[in-house]
Amino acid sequence: MTFNQTVTLVDTLARFHLKGESRQYFFGYLWWVLEPLLYVGVFYLVFEILLDSRQPDFLYFLMVGKLSFIWFSKSVNQAASSLEANKGLMAQTNLRKELFPLAVIHQGFYRQLVVFIFLICFLLMGGYLPSAAWLWLIPITLLQAMLITACGLFGALLVSFKRDFRLLIQLGMVFLLFMSGIFWDLNVIADMRLREGLLVLNPLANLIDCYRQVLMLGEAPNGMRLAWVLGESLLLLIIVWAAYSRLQFWIARQVVTR
Amino acid sequence: MTALLSLTDVSMHFSPEADSRYAVFGGINLTVEAGECVALIGRNGSGKSTLLRVMAKVFAPTSGTVSWAPGVAVSLLTLGLGFRPDLSGRDNAFLSCLLLGLSRKEAAESLSHIEAFCEIGTFFDEPVRSYSAGMRARLGFGTALMNRSQVILIDETLSVGDQQFREKAREALEQELAGHRSVVLVSHAEQQIQRLCQRALLLQDGAIVSEGSPDDVLAEYSASINKTP
Repeated sequence: MTFNQTVTLVDTLARFHLKGESRQYFFGYLWWVLEPLLYVGVFYLVFEILLDSRQPDFLYFLMVGKLSFIWFSKSVNQAASSLEANKGLMAQTNLRKELFPLAVIHQGFYRQLVVFIFLICFLLMGGYLPSAAWLWLIPITLLQAMLITACGLFGALLVSFKRDFRLLIQLGMVFLLFMSGIFWDLNVIADMRLREGLLVLNPLANLIDCYRQVLMLGEAPNGMRLAWVLGESLLLLIIVWAAYSRLQFWIARQVVTR
Repeated sequence: MTALLSLTDVSMHFSPEADSRYAVFGGINLTVEAGECVALIGRNGSGKSTLLRVMAKVFAPTSGTVSWAPGVAVSLLTLGLGFRPDLSGRDNAFLSCLLLGLSRKEAAESLSHIEAFCEIGTFFDEPVRSYSAGMRARLGFGTALMNRSQVILIDETLSVGDQQFREKAREALEQELAGHRSVVLVSHAEQQIQRLCQRALLLQDGAIVSEGSPDDVLAEYSASINKTP
């Protein structure tokens, strides 16, 4: 299969899956935006109305964090299960195994583009004025896509080794939800070294902070921090790509004969 | 004759500890020449499907070597490859063609052939979940015919639809395979094997125990079944 055919296949798998998925529900494509909004609604109710978060502009703060987090968690969770979900296809063809998680990740990217357009409209309606700094949204989004690709491919590999990793990945997402500053501001951590350490160890928290800096404060993000995310994602991507190249048959055997 | 595919001393087991209880087959030697049709016969669970998957590069053998002639595509003929019930027949056929290795343009061009062949009328644009089993099989067969591989591995997928469509499917497949392709056919349909294949192999107890003309091997297979208590 040529590179062009591979790209066409990944894109078609993603688009057709979205089409099929939308036909299963009464609200169809509307769920792309409804589902994340409902999550935001629940968090807003708990942290702002019940617990009085005291975070200025909490709704916008929460939306920027939560909508980026959902993209990450949903894509990585689905990518992790994608090899198992396509075991029938894997038993019939010798397609490269990374195609399946990549199609799921690509599908999440399409969905997120719509979510981001909605988020921007919501911010504009809330009085946030666009500035040149908003252009940073493009590299930050691409960086997050790269991070999701690396983590999604890695997750799928782990789940093909042992199904138990699927549960661990789901648990890991709950941990990340609390550790990424979705409903609290990482900048309240007084110890600077601890805060910087957390941002280095958790690239998602780093990206969410950058999104807020760009969209809510209208400031360019710290280039060094973006370089960290780039380095971490690239390193993991190279490692998992090498692993997939070596383990094609092993993955098929693990998944198909399970 | 040119060998398109050859297996040398190939074995397969599904346990990492080489536990003999998980052995599927061993010591398999087999060559598939250009243009020939070989039948693979054996009881259920004898390892025929796994052997086809080794030939199709789905599984690597535990030991032994499998060699494919350079540039030769080998694939399983599969009905309904990657079908999703919520998508229409047209979308599924397009996706299936891409999975078979066709380009976007070739896949789009194939759709009219598939639509005409499977004779399901306006249902071609309806979701596959609304299809009867027969309609689904027709769509699957029409799409599977777009497989362009030089070596086709068939795992008991030829009996689809009603009598009239079965006849049409048989003729179409035989026309597709005539002369220029090599086929390894797993089937229990004696007439089909006798009509299509020049050679047959009997897989039993994890080894090829007989090889020869389809008539002789089928006779041996019948005798082995009758002998089993």
